[in-house]
Amino acid sequence: MRQRRAGDLKVVIAALAVAVAALVSVMTFADRLQRALKFQGSELLAADLVVRSHDPSKSEWTAEISRLGLQSARTVNFRSVVMRGEDSQLAEVKAVEEGYPLRGRLRVAADINLEDAPATGIPPVGTVWVDGQLIVLLNTAVGERVNLGSQQFVIDKVITLEPDRGGAVFAIAPRLMLNIADLSSTGLIQPGSLASYRLLIAGDVSLINTFRDWMRKREEVGVVLQDASNAQPRFRTALDKGEQFLGLATLVSMLLAGVAIARAARNYAQRHLDTVALMRCVGATQRKILEVFTIQILVLGTVGSIIGCTVGYAAQQVFVYLIPGLVAGDLPWPSLMPAVIGLAAGVITLVGFAAPIILRLRGVPPLRVLRRELGALPNHIAAVYITAMLTLAALVFWVGRDLMLASYVLGGSLTTIILLATLSYLLIQLVSRMRWGVGVTWRFGIAALARRAGSSTGQIVAIGIGVMAILLLTLVRTDLLQAWRTNLPPETPNHFLINIQPGQLTDIEGFFREQQWPKPHLRPIVRARLIAINDKSVRPQDFQDPFAQRVIQRAANLSWMESLQSDNKLVAGSWWRVQERALPLVSVEQQYAEALELKLGDRLKYQIADQEITVTISNLRTVAWDSFRPNFFLLVPPALLNGYPASYITSLYVPRSRAHHLSALIKKFPNVTNIDVDALLQQVRRLIDRVNSVLEYIFLFTVLAGIVVLYAAIQTTQGERRQEVAILRTLGATRRQLFIGMVSEFVVMGVLAGGVGALAAMMTGYAISEYLLSIPYRLHISTWLVGVGAAVTIVTAAGILGTYRLWRTPPWHILREN
Amino acid sequence: MTPDAIVQAEALTKQVQSPEGMLTILNDVSMSVRRGETLAVVGVSGSGKSTLLGLLAGLDVPTAGRVILNGTDLSQVNEDERARVRAGRIGFVFQNFQLLPSLTAIENVMLPLELTGCPLPEKEARAGLTRVGLADRIAHYPSQLSGGEQQRVAIARAFATNPQILFADEPTGNLDEKTGGRIIDLLFDLNRERDTTLILVTHDRAIGIRCDRRLELSAGRLLGALN
Repeated sequence: MRQRRAGDLKVVIAALAVAVAALVSVMTFADRLQRALKFQGSELLAADLVVRSHDPSKSEWTAEISRLGLQSARTVNFRSVVMRGEDSQLAEVKAVEEGYPLRGRLRVAADINLEDAPATGIPPVGTVWVDGQLIVLLNTAVGERVNLGSQQFVIDKVITLEPDRGGAVFAIAPRLMLNIADLSSTGLIQPGSLASYRLLIAGDVSLINTFRDWMRKREEVGVVLQDASNAQPRFRTALDKGEQFLGLATLVSMLLAGVAIARAARNYAQRHLDTVALMRCVGATQRKILEVFTIQILVLGTVGSIIGCTVGYAAQQVFVYLIPGLVAGDLPWPSLMPAVIGLAAGVITLVGFAAPIILRLRGVPPLRVLRRELGALPNHIAAVYITAMLTLAALVFWVGRDLMLASYVLGGSLTTIILLATLSYLLIQLVSRMRWGVGVTWRFGIAALARRAGSSTGQIVAIGIGVMAILLLTLVRTDLLQAWRTNLPPETPNHFLINIQPGQLTDIEGFFREQQWPKPHLRPIVRARLIAINDKSVRPQDFQDPFAQRVIQRAANLSWMESLQSDNKLVAGSWWRVQERALPLVSVEQQYAEALELKLGDRLKYQIADQEITVTISNLRTVAWDSFRPNFFLLVPPALLNGYPASYITSLYVPRSRAHHLSALIKKFPNVTNIDVDALLQQVRRLIDRVNSVLEYIFLFTVLAGIVVLYAAIQTTQGERRQEVAILRTLGATRRQLFIGMVSEFVVMGVLAGGVGALAAMMTGYAISEYLLSIPYRLHISTWLVGVGAAVTIVTAAGILGTYRLWRTPPWHILREN
Repeated sequence: MTPDAIVQAEALTKQVQSPEGMLTILNDVSMSVRRGETLAVVGVSGSGKSTLLGLLAGLDVPTAGRVILNGTDLSQVNEDERARVRAGRIGFVFQNFQLLPSLTAIENVMLPLELTGCPLPEKEARAGLTRVGLADRIAHYPSQLSGGEQQRVAIARAFATNPQILFADEPTGNLDEKTGGRIIDLLFDLNRERDTTLILVTHDRAIGIRCDRRLELSAGRLLGALN
């Protein structure tokens, strides 16, 4: 008896350890990867932190940077005309200091269309590095000279990738990069010149944070601090989605942990009923019993959690070795946080799930010693569900950094559990009515399921959740990731053509036809400056938000559209109808509206050339900026801006091999500017791919956790099964009959659990993709079939494996245990 | 094998591993039971009575020696074949009833009938339960029945297939004296009605006296027949 109890204790500790191990391994791995991904976000900034200002950086800043031992590099950005003989071209000039870029690599090639390689250093004094497009536009070549301001430079290299250029998709001109030491000799930068100064900083996270706090305290006007979290929106989308997926994996494994612990805790309490009755018999008070079990639970929780933490850390470390090159460079060291959370989660969850049962144990009557049926635990203790849910909710909100995601997971799980439980219970009742229509072995299996309707429901729900998690993380995840990836299909536009004049539209379309390119979607742009909101004039300094300040400082692009593009989504208000196509309305992008604190019905006054126009906000929308199609913060009805000076913009996909056709286009229409975003696009794709492969492995851990839950759930009834097998064998049942009986129960249970689990997985997958990640998702009936098949296979295999040994044990041994 | 012996044990020895080393529970026990005979195996707790019963019924395997049950040498066949030897021909009544908690009374009684392919298991089971006085309890689950009622279900199950041999292991051990008395009466009545061979293990000499023959076990050894 004592031996069996020791075995039970091991099961509880193992269940807890496995659950905590799953949690800690996923959390540690996710945490390390998240930090690594953040670091990759830094590559897109070329730094960990950027201080942007309209004036050169102050000496106090650099003094503080050196005091903290951080790295820094300055850049100065402005626009200027580059001359070569009679040819001239506007360029985005960037003067860089030695050390640039602090994060990521600049890539350059010896000439246009030659293989590129990471650059060593920055342009030497007296030379410039330029975009290939500038060379085409100026009819020049590498090695030739160009004039910038009052200084002459030799074109030394062609820039193919600039890590921190992401936000410059709408930069109106090609890049020219020079050494900051040459800047003053150009004479272009005078006090008051329109230039953007950036101080790039990199180093240890905590030191970066110290510097950021120091800067914030100074409250300098016109200074913007930028880090990976507020880097360019396109990359932010990619990073955010990656983080959301990781968060999802962690939360689901937590939920699985909860389910496994719940099963184990209940088992544990159930098995201690006799002990408690005996303790009461020999005079233990209720208080004493409570003390004994509280201590036991705490010790058990701590031991299980410590084992789990150790295994979890080891597992994720093994994993890091197994998949090298997951992220560029080394993964950051694991932090202690996941272990702390794992320990706490283990103990808290065990206590949370066990406390109401322990309180019940106090009330076990001593008479149970004589009549075993007394004081049995009811199948459903409301308090267990409530405390368990509260515990889980607290953990989910504590661990889940994304509150929104946490609410979805928690809400979804709660709904799922209730649905699963109701559905399972009803199905069990239905199946049990069918038991008279089947043979003895099947009847036995079904009867076993129905008799234990309460615990069968619990078991089916647990298995169902396991199935749901596995499906959600294998099939549905593939669908989700696929959907995300197809957001950037192979023929995503890689060139933008801007500054097309209204008179050139027909000719441009003709050119596209000649090249057999798809008909271009030409979008009009009218440059306008925001001068008043609700008749109150606005100035940049009226706003705290740096984005809002920029919006007011610069001219905005107003465009018009008949109907909403597929990469835009209405979030408030309504789109204009045909009869409203000339009304002074405006559709505002959500981020823009938030920055300027705008709401539906607000009136915005814009200045276009020397005219003024007031428009009323009729709707707000979100924009998928990573679609790489021309998109706008502001849209107006199509006929409103008739007669205003407009230019047009379009985007198109041109394979690298045919890039020279674009040169022909630019030669033919010299005023049109071609912006090559191919390198940028590649960068986003690489990021998505990297995040994807990381997710593949994170999900593998969670799937393992799901399988453990399945096993734990099946193990729950193994005790009862031992007795059943022994009795049946005594009565003369053959192995074949036992096998069919047992398989029938497992098959029925697998079908029920797999069916409801798969249904839940599809619904959750749909909800997550539709409402959380905003990517289209298609429901596949095959998911359901795979779910049922997998559940039947796993449940039956685990069940048979768990009971097979019993068939070989002489029945007398088992009967005498009882 | 003795001509009309239905159960015969030859030099049975059973040893188990214990923390103190090898423990001999049964030591060189030989005996035989005639068809239709009622035999009581008596002895104090721990004398090896139940172990002997388990070996005779083929529910356990001896360390040495052999059991011939109904003409089959159990040491020569595997677990499945031993089950086949039991099916329909051997009935059991246990101290702790050993009913399946997930099945109702009638379903428990139907089990052995169905396992042997009886064409009308439900009718037979109903008749059996009526015979033991539980006609109004057939749809109850074991947990809804008293100890005496559970043992009646177990007796109905044991006699359901009209077995040739009935093994009973302390059938009144979990019951009060009055209920126990009724159960023993019922057991002997049915045994007479069906002309079954009964092998009964008990520490209660009063019950033992009701059998044709008594064997006493002490510390795993057979002391011999008692009168």
